[in-house]
Amino acid sequence: MNLKIIWMDFVYSIKGWYRSKGGMFWSLAFPVILILLFGAIFSGIGSSKYTLYVQDKDQTEMSRMFNATLNGTKLFTINVVKADVNASAFIKEKNIKSLIVIPDGFEQTIQESFTNPSARVDLQFYFDPSEQTTTQVIRSVISSILQEMNKNLSHAKTIIGVQEISTITENFNFIDFFLPGMIGFTIMQGAIYGSIERNTKYRKDGILRKLLTTPITRTEWILAKMLFMMFLAALTTALITIIGILVFGMTVNISAWVIIIIIATSFLFSGMGMLIGRFVKEEETADTAAGAISFPMMFLAGTFFPLEQMPGFLQTIAHVLPLYYVNEALRNSMIYLNQNESLLNGVVVIIFAGVFFISGVLLTKWKED
Amino acid sequence: MIEQRFKCPNCEQIASFYGNPGEHLVVTCSACHLKGRLTIPHAEQNNGHAIEVSHLKKIYGDLIAVNDISFSVKNGEVFAFLGPNGAGKTTTVEMIESIRQPTAGSIQLLGKDIKTHFNDVKEKIGILPQEFHSFERLTVRETLVYFSNLFKKKADVDQIIQSLDLTSHKNMLYRNLSGGLKQRVGVAISLVNDPEIIFLDEPTTGLDPKARREVWGVIAGLRKKGKTVFLTTHYMEEAEFLADHIAVIFKGKIIAEGTLEDLIRNYGKSSVMHIKKCVNAPEVIEMLKQEGYDEVSSEGNGDIAIKIDYKERVLDILSHLKHDCIEYESLDIRRSNLEEVFLRLTGSKLTEDAA
Repeated sequence: MNLKIIWMDFVYSIKGWYRSKGGMFWSLAFPVILILLFGAIFSGIGSSKYTLYVQDKDQTEMSRMFNATLNGTKLFTINVVKADVNASAFIKEKNIKSLIVIPDGFEQTIQESFTNPSARVDLQFYFDPSEQTTTQVIRSVISSILQEMNKNLSHAKTIIGVQEISTITENFNFIDFFLPGMIGFTIMQGAIYGSIERNTKYRKDGILRKLLTTPITRTEWILAKMLFMMFLAALTTALITIIGILVFGMTVNISAWVIIIIIATSFLFSGMGMLIGRFVKEEETADTAAGAISFPMMFLAGTFFPLEQMPGFLQTIAHVLPLYYVNEALRNSMIYLNQNESLLNGVVVIIFAGVFFISGVLLTKWKED
Repeated sequence: MIEQRFKCPNCEQIASFYGNPGEHLVVTCSACHLKGRLTIPHAEQNNGHAIEVSHLKKIYGDLIAVNDISFSVKNGEVFAFLGPNGAGKTTTVEMIESIRQPTAGSIQLLGKDIKTHFNDVKEKIGILPQEFHSFERLTVRETLVYFSNLFKKKADVDQIIQSLDLTSHKNMLYRNLSGGLKQRVGVAISLVNDPEIIFLDEPTTGLDPKARREVWGVIAGLRKKGKTVFLTTHYMEEAEFLADHIAVIFKGKIIAEGTLEDLIRNYGKSSVMHIKKCVNAPEVIEMLKQEGYDEVSSEGNGDIAIKIDYKERVLDILSHLKHDCIEYESLDIRRSNLEEVFLRLTGSKLTEDAA
């Protein structure tokens, strides 16, 4: 193996990439734009609070305590509605999306509950069904507050559900979820399309035929290209991580294991690109095929949204997609610091990488039929 | 000592020179006294043949793309493999370059069987594949350095740039070059290892006439340097202009082979003398017929066509015209060409439409 040739090819690949505005955009600018955009939309840059109207018909210490707890979450901009106003009419008149009514007798019913177990009081939550996200957030927050109050008042045992809600809403933001997904997605795109370019465009342009008649071996050439892919993967990972830390104040753990996952991801998707290029030989068709594979994978593998928000059958599909395991391995290692979970998913990534890359190398050929 | 044939680029006189493999000679044309440099190629026990192809065959399903062809290419000659699109030219050259696997037959390059010794031969051949486009975002010089670094034996890249008149373009990106310049760079890439044999697969296809002439100039320069050039083309004027030896391939078979003169002599028509705007053309035609010129005909407007069987007849006709004080506007002799040869051999024209 001639290391000088591998190094030279690597250096010239960087030169070519550096001179390509498109290459630079898709490798660096595009992920940066996406992460800033999605981060701004979902992670509380600018106006992030939900507007909530509250009508306290009870006006007691207990109802004021509930109000104070709502305020304490800092998730809402709370507007007080006078107690004598008709809630339904007010909503129609002012086009209100979310309103909570604390009914008259709220405190009294709670006090009765100490002696009468069947006593019950219901808050009224008016909501706009078209505002699904807002409604869901408000509903979950109210639910957690009420559970906490019930628990304190009845001296019941700790309710697990409260703890779960607390974990998700308080410790991690959307950006924490999104950043590792963005890294996995960017590496996937670069590796698949880079591999396809090498196997279809270079074939069409006669470069593969030319190389076949020179002393460079296929192994040397593929290794040189993998070196370049890993360089790009390292660059994009570093860039995305720096933005996460500096712009969104994230705490990101970069370890040797994360680097191993990133290297395995580069091999995995380069192999996938080789296989696409092997069976779809025309450049344009291969690009379309790559898009048809990578685009749905991007959405289905939990890159942008948690798998739990998807219907059950889509969650099942996600579990056969390599990008899902990449996302989970990176997320658990970089953000959640759940190394066991990361290890489990990372091993699946390495197995996928082995299968796809070896198949790609074995099935790709430079010789013509 | 081995023989190296040399065609003078000025007067086209062919002469033989002798030297040791790799030896550089300063030679002088015996006809026009033009001086030039010549390198004796490395013969390597190849009996003077750089390429030897024997019973080569390539079959795809029911299609016989190359049908049992045999030929050889001498050291230092420009060998043109001429045929219409789809005749089997590229399939053949790609089997010789080991890009495609032959169905049957044997190929020797520089005396070595490529089945077993292609890796040894790689260092000694240079290839310009058909429709080749190099890395778009490398400059001309970077491109040449890249390919040069793949080989152990390296020619001086700057010298190649200079000799192919690429100096003013050496820092331009490949993607910004014109079609003609791209092809010139392609030829330059094939020279980076100072090869003994250069394969150029349709190097001028798609180029405009000016760019085509530029590439011809480059190929003629390679011949001057004593390189063996294997050229595939469907342009008959390209083969006529450049080749020492021509093989005509049609539907996977070689249907004729030899020098241009051989092919015209064996398969073409005789030459024809045309006298333009001759005064009293009917009387002149009658006079020539009486002198024994059977194939004389009128072409209208006073133009006369006379078949010339052998060159002495030209002088006879000229002396008759002078003796009888016959006035005419102009006179020319048209030689039969490869187009006519191809037409006679195949019944179809050798044009791009022929495919």
